[in-house]
Formats: sequence, structure tokens, C-alpha cells
Amino acid sequence: MKDTQLSPDAVIGILALQGAFAEHQVMLKKNCGKRQLDVIQVRTPEELKLCDALIIPGGESTTMGLLAKISGLIEPLREYVKTKPVWGTCAGAILLSQAISNPKKGGQELVGGVSVKITRNGWGSQVESFEAPLQVSGLRDAHIPFPGVFIRAPVVAELLSAASELHTHVISRIPDSLLPRSSLDEGPDRAIVALRQGRHLLTTFHPELTFDSRFHEYFVHECVLPSLAP
Amino acid sequence: MSASPQPQIQVLQGAGSAVGSTAGAPTRVKDAGNSNMGTFGVKSGLAQMLKGGVIMDVVNAEQARIAEEAGACAVMALERVPADIRAAGGVARMASASDPHMIKEIVEAVSIPVMAKVRIGHFVEAQILQSIGIDYIDESEVLTPADEEHHINKHTFKVPFVCGARNLGEALRRISEGASFIRTKGEAGTGNIVEAVRHQRAVAGEIRKASVLTEEELYVYAKDIQAPFHLLKEAARLKRLPVVNFAAGGIATPADAALMMQLGCDGVFVGSGIFKSGDPAKRARAIVQAVTHFNNPKILAEISENLGAPMVGLTIDANLEGGRLAQRGW
Repeated sequence: MKDTQLSPDAVIGILALQGAFAEHQVMLKKNCGKRQLDVIQVRTPEELKLCDALIIPGGESTTMGLLAKISGLIEPLREYVKTKPVWGTCAGAILLSQAISNPKKGGQELVGGVSVKITRNGWGSQVESFEAPLQVSGLRDAHIPFPGVFIRAPVVAELLSAASELHTHVISRIPDSLLPRSSLDEGPDRAIVALRQGRHLLTTFHPELTFDSRFHEYFVHECVLPSLAP
Repeated sequence: MSASPQPQIQVLQGAGSAVGSTAGAPTRVKDAGNSNMGTFGVKSGLAQMLKGGVIMDVVNAEQARIAEEAGACAVMALERVPADIRAAGGVARMASASDPHMIKEIVEAVSIPVMAKVRIGHFVEAQILQSIGIDYIDESEVLTPADEEHHINKHTFKVPFVCGARNLGEALRRISEGASFIRTKGEAGTGNIVEAVRHQRAVAGEIRKASVLTEEELYVYAKDIQAPFHLLKEAARLKRLPVVNFAAGGIATPADAALMMQLGCDGVFVGSGIFKSGDPAKRARAIVQAVTHFNNPKILAEISENLGAPMVGLTIDANLEGGRLAQRGW
């Protein structure tokens, strides 16, 4: 890569409270071998402070929310998303959303920061989980479909009104034929599976479970690098 | 012994390439013909999402809610926890065998994945659980086996399976049959960690041994441990099981959970250890924290304070009530 904007000591954190955090770490190391990227696991507020950008991985959103709260991370995370790039995959996307439907009884902790409402487990139980090729705009070699892995995946219920002022770019939708038949929310936005809002990235599927590192490249190039530019 | 928190190298891909060819035929294709359901990728992928988490045994909706509030990443529905299965004797069956509503009540009560146990070889119990939308099936030695020779052919199901193992050969035989998730067996219902440690050390030690063998030697080793060669080769290359590997059978304290994590497990199952203890909600939450902060003794000390009485443990010897469950499965 000819890009040399990235300062040698850029640090990307992966929230490592629970879930598939190690997979993200492997993907970042794989695709950014030439860059001086440090990739660290984040379990405490002190570790979060070291990071120039953060990935919130897939996992169980209620578990991660609770652990963030009792580890004293939830408020530092809320402050963090106001200024730094964050990418949430699946459960991570739920945590980054401003509002959710189908929460745990009695509600659950969210970080917020992205003006979107998300329905948890939008497709139903595990037997409805699926893989499907996705067209994603902005990826390298965008004509080659990206392998989408949807596991008890959330559905974007709607972009909230503030989204229009926040430079929201929908970068991938799935065909109507793949939408959940018994969709809880029949809004027009429910086909969205990947979007950018400002410096944040949100995917309802799992790029970290594939061999394809283009999404990790995209995050580094489009979200992290520009935020580091002087 | 690896105390590293990041041995989990793209497990799905390893498993996918090794097993995907046999499991590859999608069980069902969505209407559009453009997406696959029930692939090995989504089966092992859900196990990857559970990593770093605690899966708790529950026998009713109320316990399931306590588990969810305590931060469980999934619950395991069964009729009785293993300690009570030992005490009660008789035949232990799939949870809804006596009360079909129980599992549905649990599914409705919580938003996290719901798993349930079936008897070894009882593929009809598995068909029933798949039809009611259970997220993961445990083909478990804790229940009374229905077949003393064959395990379920797990490739033919859309719902994924976890199976127990005491050593590498047993783990790889289960993966060969379609299991997308392995747990060490330990000795369920004893509150005694010794067998879980033995089994995890056996799996890890055998993988380390395989990882330095030549291909010729691997053929011999595959024969010795009765493992499919291609899966053994994959485990040797990855230096870990090609699917997610949790600990189970005897975990009763936060320190037990952290011990299994430091021994290289990806997460833990806790059965009797929670709801047979003095303060289930508190103990459950402490074990959840212990699995996240397993490498931080200072935090482990803090969360282990004031948890109330742990379950009463059992000595594992010839007089063990209910016998050695780990010896079931072949």
C-alpha cells in the first residue's frame, strides 16, 4: 500500500469482554502487515485510553453490556464514540445503536453513538442463520461479492431522523427475497446490512468469520486513517 | 501450557476447510436460491460468538432469567441439573420429554441463545428440538444414552450440535460426525474440577504432540487415537481444535472458571455449580466476570468475595453416586 498517513504507533483496540474478538485481531494483523498497527484487546478503561479506534465484536450483546457496566467501561465507551472511529459487528452494532427493539426483559445497556434503531435477532433463532453474497460499495474490488455470514443477526429497523445530518452512507443492502419473512419491523430500512455514519461503521454480519479482509481494510482506510490525519 | 488469551485463530475457517466438504451440502436453501442456511459456517460461527462466555444450566424460565441477568451468553435447558440427576437415578431424558412447555417457556423468557440436551444417539429428540427452534443441541453424556454404539449424524441437521470429549480422538470423532462445538466432559454434577482439568490437559497435550509429527507419523497417530486423519492434520496445523472448545463438568467457583480459561478453553459451561450454590445470582455473575478477566488475579480476588456457599462437592471414586458420566460416549 502506498498509503503512509498512518502514524507508526496507531493502536486499534478490540473490545474483549466476550465474543469473537480474537478473530478480528487475526484479520487486522493479516491485512495490515505493512502498517505499523498495534492491535490490543480492551477489557479496562485504561486499555481503552490507548486506542485510536475500536472494534466491538460479535458475541452476546446483553453479556457485553453488563460486563462493560460492571467493569466501569460503559461511560468511557460513550465518551469514546463521540470522538473516535468505532466499528460494531452484529452484537457490536447493537451496542452502537441509539435504540433497539426486542431487548432483554427489563432493558439492556447500550453504548449508543449511531443514529439507528436495531431489532435484535431479527431473523429468528439459529436455524434461520444463513450465508449470502453481498454487494458492498466502497470495498476494494467492489464487483466481487463479499461473503456475508449472518448468525442470529440483528435487523436495521430504521435510520433515526438525526441520521440524515450525520453523513450516513448505506454501503450494503440485502435483496428483499432474503429478508426475514416474519420481520418484526416492516420499515423501509430493514434491508440495510452495512452502513457508515461519520467515522463509525456498522455491519449486522461477521466479516471476521471469513477469509476476506476487505472490510477490515475498509475500516482502516475510510474510518481510522482520516481520523488520524493532522 | 498456553495461558494466552488469543489462541482462537479463525476457528471457523479451519473447520470450514476441513469439515465443510463433508458438511457442505446446505440443509436447506432459502427461497431466493442465493443464500445458504444450516451451513457449517453458521453452526461453528454461533459457537464463536459464545466464546469468552458462560453457558448456564437452567431447569425453568425463572432460572433462565436469573442466568440472563447475570450475563450468561446462553442457557442450557434440561429437566434436572446433573447433581439432581445423580441423586434421582433412573433414566434422564431430553428436557421436554415430560413437560413440552418447559423449553418453550424458557425460549420466551430470554433473548439469549437457548441450548438443550438430548440423549447420545437419540436423533428423534434432536429432531423435536430443531422443530421448536432451539439454538444449539448438546448430545450429552449427562443424560442416559439411547444408543451405546452410534452417535447422532449431526450433519443432517440445520441446528448445530455441541458434544463432550475426554481426549483429542474423541473430540475429532464428534467433529467428524458434524459437531461444530466441543466441550471437555469433566464429571458433571460433582462440583469437582479435577476431571475437567484432566480432559482439557489431555486434548491440549495430544494436539501439541501431533503438531510436531511428520505426515507419516500423523497417519500412525490417527490410527492410535482413532481420529479421522484429515481432522487430526487440521488440529496439528492450527495447534488447537478446529472448532470452539469450552470446559464443562465440575466448575463451581470463579477460580475454577479462570483455571479452565488459562488452560486454553474458549469459555465454560456451568451446570449444578450455580443453582446448587447459596446465592445463584451472585455466583453466576462472578463466574461471568472471571471468564472475561481470567488472566487478572487482582480482579479475580475482588469478584470472589462474599459469594455465599459454593455447591457441596463430591469425591470422584468408585462410590460416586450415579457413576462416572464421562465414560458414556464412544
